[in-house]
Amino acid sequence: MTLDLSLSTKQSLDLSPTRTRTLEVVDKSNRLKSTSLGGKMVAEYWDNIFTAKERGKHVVWYNGTALNPIFQAAGLEWCHGEAFSARLAAMHLEGPAQQAGEEYGYIAELCSYARTHLGCAVMTQKGITEKQSGIVGMVDQDQLASKLPSPDFFVNAYAGCSTGQQWDAMTYRVFGKDFPIFNVSLPMIWGNKKDSGYLRGTEWEKTPLYVEEQLKKLIEFIEYQTKKPFDWDALSENMSYIKRASELRLEAMALCAAAPTPATYWDWVASIAPINFLPANQLLVDYFQAVKDEIQQRIVNNISAVQNERYRVYFDGIMNWNKLGFLTRKFAEFDVAVVAGRYTHDSFWQEPQLIDLDRPLLGMAQHYLICPINHGLKIMEELLLKRCDEYAIDGIAFHSTRTCRAMTNPQHILARTAERDRGIKSFSFEGDVADAAFYKDESLESGLVAMLESIDQQRAKV
Amino acid sequence: MHELESVAFSVLETVAADPVGYAVEWKRRTGRPVVGSFPMNFPSEIVHATGALPVIVQESRTPITEGRSLLPEFYCSYTRSVADQAAVGELDVFDAFVLADHCVQLLGAADVIRWAKPEKPMHFAQFISSMDDPWSGAQVRDKVASLRVEVEEIVGVTVTPEALRASIRAFNVNRHLLRRFYELRKTGRLRVSARQLQVLVKSSMVMEITEHTELLESILSGLELPSEPPDSLVRLHLSGHFCAPPRPELLDLIEECGVLVVNDDLYHGTRYISTDVPEDGDPFDALATWYLDRNVSAPCGTRVQRNVDWDSYLVDSLDDSGADGVITLMAKFCEPLMLYYPELRKVLDARDIPVLLIETEHEGLAAESIRTRVETFVERIRRQKLKVPTLA
Repeated sequence: MTLDLSLSTKQSLDLSPTRTRTLEVVDKSNRLKSTSLGGKMVAEYWDNIFTAKERGKHVVWYNGTALNPIFQAAGLEWCHGEAFSARLAAMHLEGPAQQAGEEYGYIAELCSYARTHLGCAVMTQKGITEKQSGIVGMVDQDQLASKLPSPDFFVNAYAGCSTGQQWDAMTYRVFGKDFPIFNVSLPMIWGNKKDSGYLRGTEWEKTPLYVEEQLKKLIEFIEYQTKKPFDWDALSENMSYIKRASELRLEAMALCAAAPTPATYWDWVASIAPINFLPANQLLVDYFQAVKDEIQQRIVNNISAVQNERYRVYFDGIMNWNKLGFLTRKFAEFDVAVVAGRYTHDSFWQEPQLIDLDRPLLGMAQHYLICPINHGLKIMEELLLKRCDEYAIDGIAFHSTRTCRAMTNPQHILARTAERDRGIKSFSFEGDVADAAFYKDESLESGLVAMLESIDQQRAKV
Repeated sequence: MHELESVAFSVLETVAADPVGYAVEWKRRTGRPVVGSFPMNFPSEIVHATGALPVIVQESRTPITEGRSLLPEFYCSYTRSVADQAAVGELDVFDAFVLADHCVQLLGAADVIRWAKPEKPMHFAQFISSMDDPWSGAQVRDKVASLRVEVEEIVGVTVTPEALRASIRAFNVNRHLLRRFYELRKTGRLRVSARQLQVLVKSSMVMEITEHTELLESILSGLELPSEPPDSLVRLHLSGHFCAPPRPELLDLIEECGVLVVNDDLYHGTRYISTDVPEDGDPFDALATWYLDRNVSAPCGTRVQRNVDWDSYLVDSLDDSGADGVITLMAKFCEPLMLYYPELRKVLDARDIPVLLIETEHEGLAAESIRTRVETFVERIRRQKLKVPTLA
C-alpha cells in the first residue's frame, strides 16, 4: 500500500500566529456606562497636572494613602505615584518608564508600581537636567511617562507595606535630595490583642490618635513649604464631598448584592481613581450618584452586568491594570460575575461614618490605617468572610500579584479560611499590577475552570 | 586561615549550624523559656533580662516543603524558610515570638506562624522606620514599653531596671569582643575567613550571651597575630544580605578567587555588632536610643533618614578598610536592597570603585557561574590597580 500524500502536500502551511486563529469570543460583560465619565475626569485631572508648573502651582509627589483632601485645601497640585503607574499600565504606556528604571538599576522583581514611578522620576529628573543643559531629549518626546512635573516636595504615607516608604526615600535620592520630604508613619493594625478586631479594641482606639498628630505636623510642613496658612474650612468642605461620595459609592455597592448583579468588581475598579485621588467637589458626588442611579435603573430593568450569571466570585489581590478590559471579558466568558473584591470594597473611604467634619484629621487617620494591606491576618479573615456573606460569594479568585508582596501576603491562608469556614472554593492566578510580563493566561483559565467545576460538583451534592 | 581553630570555635560552629538544636538543649538544661525574635532590630536584651533565652530565628538550611503552600515563591528566602519552619514544626522549641520590624515579607511570615502555631504568643511592636522625625524617639520609647509588657507576660517575670542594665552590659561586652575580631581582620593581623566570622556573629544571635562571651574570650586569648596578608590578594568589602547570612560556601567561593574580605556591612556581620546600648540613664530609654543610633553607625536600606546614607557610609567604610571593591550580596526578592542598590552603584561608579552584584537564593548555588564572575571581577580590579597613568 502506498500513502497518498497529495492532499497534505497541496495544502499551504498556515504560519499565522496561533492567537489569530482563536475563535472570536462574544463579550458577555455589560459594563456600566456612567463610569466613562470617570475616565474623562481622570484624563482631565492628569492633563491639568502636566501644566502645573506653567501655572505656577506647587506640586507635591506622594505615595500611599489618600492625602489629597489636605493637598487640595492647601492649594497644591498632587501626583500620586501609584495612581500614575497604574494609569500608565492601564494605557499600556508603562514601557518607557520601566525601561528608564531598569537602566537606572531597578530589578524586575521590585514592586512594579515603584519601578514605574521611579522610572518616571528618573525621566523627570533627566528632563530637569536637559532643560538646564539645553539638550533636547526624552522629556521633549510625547511620552506620557515623561510628563510629570518635578515635585516641590514629597510626602509619603504608606500603610501596610515597608516598600512604600523606602520607595519615596529612593525617589528623594533620585532627585538628588534637593526636595523636602515628609513621612507619615502608619503603624500596622496587628490585631493580636484579645479585644482586637476590625474597628475595635484598644489598638484601634489608640493608633489613629498618633497618626492624627502626624497629620497636624504634615499641615505645618505644608504651610512652611507654601508660605500660606492652611485652609481648615476647605479641608472640612473637601471631606464633606468625600463623605457623601463614599456613602453613595457604598450604597451602590450594596445594591450589587442582588443576583444577578447589576455591576461588577470591574466597574468598581474603574471608579477607584475618582474616590482615591480626584479633587473633592460636587462633580465627585455627582459621579457616584450617577453610578448609583444607573445601578438602580438596571435593577428595575432587570439588566445584569454579566450575561447568564452563574457564579459569583470575589477578587482578592491588587488590580492587574494592564488587563482590566481583558479580565472583564474573560471572567464573563465563563458566566462569572466578579461582584466584590478586597481592593475595591475594603479601601478608599469605605467607612464614611468615621468622617467627622469638625475633626476631619481623625477620620482620615482612621481610614489610612484600614488600608486592606494594613491589617494582620485575623482581621483580614474577618473582612473576607464578611464580604463573602454580603455578596453570596461562590468562589474566590486570588490574583497572586508578583511584585506586590503586601497584597499577596495572606492569600494562601485566606483561601484555606474561606474553604474551612464557608466551603468557598478558590484559585490563584499569576499577574502583576503594572508589569504585563508576569501575567499568564493559562494560569488564569485553568485555575478558573477548575474552580468552577468544583463549585458545580458542590452544588450537585446539595 | 586557621587562627580560630579551637575547641571553643568548634562549639560556636555547632551552634551556628544548628540554632534550634542549641535552643532545645538550653531549654532542657535550664528549664527556662526560649523566645524567638526576627531581624533586624529587636533588642534581645529585654528578653535576656527576664532570664529567658532570646534567639534570633535563623534561615534553615533544609529545603522548603510545606512552606511553599503558605507563602508565594516570590518571597525572600528568609521569610519562606521561616514559614516552612513554622509549618513543619522546626520552631516548636520557641515559647513565643516577638518582632519590631515591619518588612512586608517578614510580616507575611509572622502571620504564617500565627496561623500555624496559634497557641504561641506573637507580639509585634512596630518600631518606626522613619528615624529623624520629631516623634521618632517617643514612638520607639513607647514601643519598647509595649515590648516590656508583652515580654513580661510571656515569661512571667518582671523586667527590673537592674536586670536590664546587667543584660545591656552583657550584650555590649559581647559586641565589643566581636568587633575586636573585625578590627583585627581589617588590619590584616588576623587571618580569618568570612565563613568563620559569620560563625562568630551568627552564634551570638542564638547562644546565651555570657556563655558566648566566654567562648569568644577563650578564642581571643589563644590567637597568634603576627601575620600580614599577602599583597597579591584583592581586598573586598561584602555588602547587603539583610536578615539571613549568605551561604558559607558562597563566602568560601569568593575567597577562593584570590580575595581577602576585609570588611562587610552584612546583618550577620558588622551591621549586627555595630552599636552598643548606652549604659547610663534609664535602660529602657537606652534601648530606644540604641535603635536610633544604629542607623547612624550602620545605615540600613530598610530605614528612612534624611541625614544618613548607606551609600556614603559604604564609601567611608571602604576608605577605612582599604578595600579595592564591593561585592553586593542580594537575597533574591529582597525589596529594600533592590530599591537601594542603584543608589549604591551610582555612588561607587562615581568613585570608580568596582562593584559586583550577586543574587542569592535559598536552595542551590550556581557555584561555577558565580566563580567565573568573581574571578573576572577580581581580574578587573587587578588590572585597574596596575593601570599606568596616562601622560598629560
